[in-house]
Amino acid sequence: MTAAGIIADILLGLAALIVVGASVGIVVMPDAYAKLHFVTPATLVAPALVTLAVLVQAGLSENAGESVLALVFLMIGGPFLSHATIRAIRVRETGDWRQPAGGIKPGGEAGQ
Amino acid sequence: MTTGFVIAAIVMLVAMVPAGVVLCRGDLPASLVAYEFVTSVAVMVLALLAQAFRRPAEFELPVLMAMLLFGSGLVFVRTIERWL
Repeated sequence: MTAAGIIADILLGLAALIVVGASVGIVVMPDAYAKLHFVTPATLVAPALVTLAVLVQAGLSENAGESVLALVFLMIGGPFLSHATIRAIRVRETGDWRQPAGGIKPGGEAGQ
Repeated sequence: MTTGFVIAAIVMLVAMVPAGVVLCRGDLPASLVAYEFVTSVAVMVLALLAQAFRRPAEFELPVLMAMLLFGSGLVFVRTIERWL
């Protein structure tokens, strides 16, 4: 096996490990806010590692270019989507995404 | 065939199963989060398989799916926010 193959395998192993960990986190965490933290590694970090692995394995080729393109779309869309998801869940739970005028008490309820 | 890429794709497919359970059985917000996870992992699986079997033409699929992930995710989010 070449050095490039070994490096690619290490990167792929890391990516797979991150995805498995994120999947466990999504199952274990109690609510959607906490679960959403585990989507980010699978949306940003693991695709970056996969793209690097393709780049190492295939060099500067069409495959690597399209992997980078997919990564760019994920990196642009991921944070917007996470923000929109949090906003939607909050609107669904409280009726509005903004903080109430009286602030939020330590228990999580709106103050007067 | 590049074995490392195939193994990584299989591991990621298996990792989608727990999230799939949350997607099917969780409450609506948790299902939405699990959906976002599953689709982003699917993008990687498609890229891995295309590289593993050396089919450059199939690299179009992850690119298209990454684009559609953003649009479809926003549609789901807006639907949950407004109507469900």
